[in-house]
Amino acid sequence: MTGDFKFDTLSLHAGHSPDSRHGSRAVPIHQTTSYVFQDSEHAAALFNLEVGGHIYSRISNPTVAVLEQRLCALEGGIGAVATSSGMSALFLTVLALCSQGDHIVSSSQMYGANINLFQHTLSRYGITTTFVAPNDPEAIAEAIQPNTKMVFGEVIGNPGMDVMDVPAVGKIAADAGVPLVIDATFNTPWLMKPLEQGANIVIHSLTKWIGGHGVALGGVVIDGGNFDWGQNDRFPTLTEPHFGFQGVNLYEEFGPAAFITRVRTEGMYNIGPSLSPTNAFHLIQGIETLGLRMERHMTNTQKMLEFLQGHEAISWIKHPSLPDHPDHEVAKRLMPKGAGSIIGCGIKGGRDAGRAFIESVSVASHLANVGDAKTLVIHPGSTTHSHITPEAMQAAGLSDDMIRISVGLEDFDDLKADFTQALKKASKVGEST
Amino acid sequence: MKTTLNTAEVFASTGGREFNASGDVIMFVHGSGQSHLGYMLQGRYFANRGWDVLVPDMPAHGLSGGAPLTSIEDMADWHVALMDQLGVKSAHVVGHSQGGLIALEMARRSGDRVRGLSLVGCALAIPVNDMLLGLARDKEPAAINAMVDWGHGPVGHAHDHTMPGQSHLYYGRQLMEANETGALFADLSACAAYSTGADAAAALSCPAQAILGQRDKMTPLKFGLQMAKAIGDETPTVIPNAGHMLPNEHPVEVNRALRTFFEAQK
Repeated sequence: MTGDFKFDTLSLHAGHSPDSRHGSRAVPIHQTTSYVFQDSEHAAALFNLEVGGHIYSRISNPTVAVLEQRLCALEGGIGAVATSSGMSALFLTVLALCSQGDHIVSSSQMYGANINLFQHTLSRYGITTTFVAPNDPEAIAEAIQPNTKMVFGEVIGNPGMDVMDVPAVGKIAADAGVPLVIDATFNTPWLMKPLEQGANIVIHSLTKWIGGHGVALGGVVIDGGNFDWGQNDRFPTLTEPHFGFQGVNLYEEFGPAAFITRVRTEGMYNIGPSLSPTNAFHLIQGIETLGLRMERHMTNTQKMLEFLQGHEAISWIKHPSLPDHPDHEVAKRLMPKGAGSIIGCGIKGGRDAGRAFIESVSVASHLANVGDAKTLVIHPGSTTHSHITPEAMQAAGLSDDMIRISVGLEDFDDLKADFTQALKKASKVGEST
Repeated sequence: MKTTLNTAEVFASTGGREFNASGDVIMFVHGSGQSHLGYMLQGRYFANRGWDVLVPDMPAHGLSGGAPLTSIEDMADWHVALMDQLGVKSAHVVGHSQGGLIALEMARRSGDRVRGLSLVGCALAIPVNDMLLGLARDKEPAAINAMVDWGHGPVGHAHDHTMPGQSHLYYGRQLMEANETGALFADLSACAAYSTGADAAAALSCPAQAILGQRDKMTPLKFGLQMAKAIGDETPTVIPNAGHMLPNEHPVEVNRALRTFFEAQK
């Protein structure tokens, strides 16, 4: 390959050069735990990170490395570490930056497991978090403390679909000498590249749109290399001798790659949430069609929005591309090709009508995932949040009648027919309650 | 390692090892718009194998302060002054690209301080076209993008890397953008103005080697081979399918060639 390649070309080729011995065009699955050293000196050189290569698949693996390099190419990152899930990617990021007594500023409107990690798990280890609305840059600025090590948020919040003004928050974080870490799962680099908009680190759950097929879990941390870790004394994990690596100062020896080197040399060595090579292979197959799929996701989402807007059984619709969404202008500026394929909507008739709708769809699947090629639906009021009061759901940005739709790639005529018949059944239930 | 030279703070990587100025010192000299990080895969490799490694950042580059130097001759004198400051009597000097011109000039001006010379991705002259000079002066990010694009070979453009999960192109951009504004223009201007490489090569009195990229667009192979002949290297190392950024893109081949040469000098 030569030249400066575009998105769809990188999706197919980046990170992989066919090997000279076998010439396999597809990325091979290196299903191995470990790698034969050439001699003792080679082994020592690998452990010292003097030469590239692999030691043990908990730390790195050739198939996983292709996935990491492909994602770097698509996001504009200098280095990446793939993990077993999006949650472990977030945890390794925190681990590389934070120690006991440190602080995080985080979006208050995001995936429940993220909230739980910050609020309940990390707090047990002395890392505290201030939660702030993602679309309130002033509040984010005010929440930053001298011991704050990262500002964190999602571009498109899950499930509330608030949109963070990444350039504005990125400037606030940069002015305070703190990195902005972004979970870009809902937008993917096809809709928006956070590193080009002022973010410093990007995290994905690869399980969702990046893979797109729903067959493999995975996560990734991507380092933009655009944050100066030595500008202040906030980041001793990167600017003081690293215990696990001959006391080397990562900032001095690896420069822009200090953070991602710490993620691998501490996170993967000492915690080890490694991605299996087979899952990496499946995720690579997904990436090859990411651009094509995202285009269809956006087309079908637009059609679905138009369908729902005109339907008598729908009481409200939430999507950042709609003019009445509070973050519509930000979404339009940051994601001109579309604001994701998740739609929130209310079914008239409340919780019972919502349950009836969910149990009546047949093309769409009722399950707890998003970003699949297949259309997915869930009714939080009768499933994930069924034990929670309407008031508590409202505080979490949810409502009793809410349906979350992850719009897939089916022929829209079939989706429309499926939703029409399911909404009809929901309406009957709603009328009788 | 940090020291002060001409009132400015200077950073030099020692490959993560204690530095012994009276040991077998290798000094790596970086190229235009680069820093010690351009030798990330050489510094620790040789430091962990018994050599005493010094990879300085020139003023306004990497972690060094001060104003950028403006001629190859001044850059050569600065490196010799740094050797004086640290008590290094002589060193094997490795120069990549512009660093090769500096190394050649160090040998010409202070021959007793250079025990051997390794010129990587280099030529006797490195002319810089007006368009790139103009970009470096007026639109530095565009100049960096152009150099990163031209500098990297097929491996870099394929986003392949010997270090798992890393990208040559984006790392290269961040490395260059971390330097002080104006440093790149000063470097390229110095390269463009330097015209005595052939004289320096003719005056060489130490062993010298050339390590060249077959597909180098910035110092094309035919000029690299002319340089090899001028410095007396009858068997230059030519790395197949390699571009200009040899030390990071092809570290195994570069380190093998350097090590063979260093060991032959012992």
